[in-house]
Amino acid sequence: MNDLMIKIDGVSLKYRLARERPGTLQEFIVRRLKGKRVNYEDFWALRDINLEVRKGETLGLIGPNGAGKSTLLKVVAGILIPVQGELAVNGKIAPLIELGAGFNAELIGKENIYLNSAILGLSRKEIDGRFGRILEFSELGEFIYSPLKSYSSGMVARLGFSIATEVDPDILIIDEILSVGDEHFRNKCDARIKSFKERGVTILFVSHSMNDIKRLCDRAVCLEHGKIAFEGNSAEVVDFYVKSLNGDRR
Amino acid sequence: MEGRPAANKEEMYNSLKEVSEILRYKELLRNLVSTDIKVRYKRSVLGFIWVMLNPLLIMLVLYIVFSTLFKVSVVYILSGIIVWNFFSQSTSTALGSFINNSNLIKKVYLPKAIFPLSVILSAMVNFAFSLIPLFIILSITGLNFSPYLLLLPVVLIMIALFSFGVSLIVSTLTVFFHDTKYIYEVSLLAWMYMTPVFYPESIIPGKFSFIFHLNPNYYYLSTFRAALSPEVPFMPEKLLYGFLFSILTLIAGWIFYNRNRDRIVYYL
Repeated sequence: MNDLMIKIDGVSLKYRLARERPGTLQEFIVRRLKGKRVNYEDFWALRDINLEVRKGETLGLIGPNGAGKSTLLKVVAGILIPVQGELAVNGKIAPLIELGAGFNAELIGKENIYLNSAILGLSRKEIDGRFGRILEFSELGEFIYSPLKSYSSGMVARLGFSIATEVDPDILIIDEILSVGDEHFRNKCDARIKSFKERGVTILFVSHSMNDIKRLCDRAVCLEHGKIAFEGNSAEVVDFYVKSLNGDRR
Repeated sequence: MEGRPAANKEEMYNSLKEVSEILRYKELLRNLVSTDIKVRYKRSVLGFIWVMLNPLLIMLVLYIVFSTLFKVSVVYILSGIIVWNFFSQSTSTALGSFINNSNLIKKVYLPKAIFPLSVILSAMVNFAFSLIPLFIILSITGLNFSPYLLLLPVVLIMIALFSFGVSLIVSTLTVFFHDTKYIYEVSLLAWMYMTPVFYPESIIPGKFSFIFHLNPNYYYLSTFRAALSPEVPFMPEKLLYGFLFSILTLIAGWIFYNRNRDRIVYYL
């Protein structure tokens, strides 16, 4: 059956670091006229990644900084287009890569809800329908009518999370944002993520917290230098990663 | 800027997909435009009036300075300013739209063309407001309610399409080449002098009139003035050339943007 939500097939992605990149139009034209060639240096952020994620799975992505975890999430979210390979995604994605993307400090909370929801691809009707629940989850009360610049960073984060999780996605992508907020809020986030799992939402989860990975994920993948170093159930992969950090690799 | 040899069919498909994506995000478009309007006018009482006052004041200065040199009416200058402002301000603002929204583009998937598009749409709203003082002056000096007035929305659409095409090009270019902004600023200055904004067409000697004929803004401005006043004759060829320029520039801009759009995020 087609319960395959994400299929990453031979995906590679590179950043082009030009040694002497013509940053200005002037330079570019001068170079062309002189017939000079630019020296490029390619940094392969992802190398031949093959991954399949099934419906309802929660997949953890771990690895050292610079391994390519965020890059891989961005490929799945459609932000970065890989130079090689194919990506197939079946369903609507809600990225929790940055909470409150596009928030405008001059506008009030309510206006920002509409703005942020629209950025996440919701229609006006859909936002109207969810507004009540967003307000409730954020626990902002009357502050929803105050301009965002009067909010504390915790309030901004709460609002951002409330909006993002109301998108009602098929696939949820979370990039290390669960460390925001106080205990009470973190528990709410946890509970919401659990309810997503119960509803069969597929989740891609990047974290540096091995506890969270073991707790929330069924499977996990360890990335290193843009390649998949190990794949398996979350306890195994966490084990592998921790061991490799201590210089003891199987 | 090298490109992969892309199959033409795939390229066309991607272009069309981008159009449908923009439509899918129409709520965001509406939001961006209304946010721009709100932020612009929220803080100042004068804000709303400023849109109308600003071109009037500029016109006044130009009229006082040049009225002995050139025999042009107040309406002539004001119409020149309004049309020129639309083009120059919208394209200049749109030029930086990818860079200004770089954190969004890097964190969330969006059809990026939505940013320059929202600038153009905002400019159309401002254009509509700035017509108010124009019509007030016209009604004082004697407006001729001819059917040519129907040309006004047509001209607006043509300039909007043309500006959007130019915006797509400069906004994409700026991402890769940071000096685009300065080159464009200077080009705009020269361009303005090549458009009969505050001087009559007649002062340009015949052998140089080809400059006008190569300038799309000349056609838009002429048709705009013809719509308002019987003194300026309406010439259908101008409408046609203007239309052609609009469509060609829009297509060129759209192709250029789509060819480079996947690489934009890497350079932001």
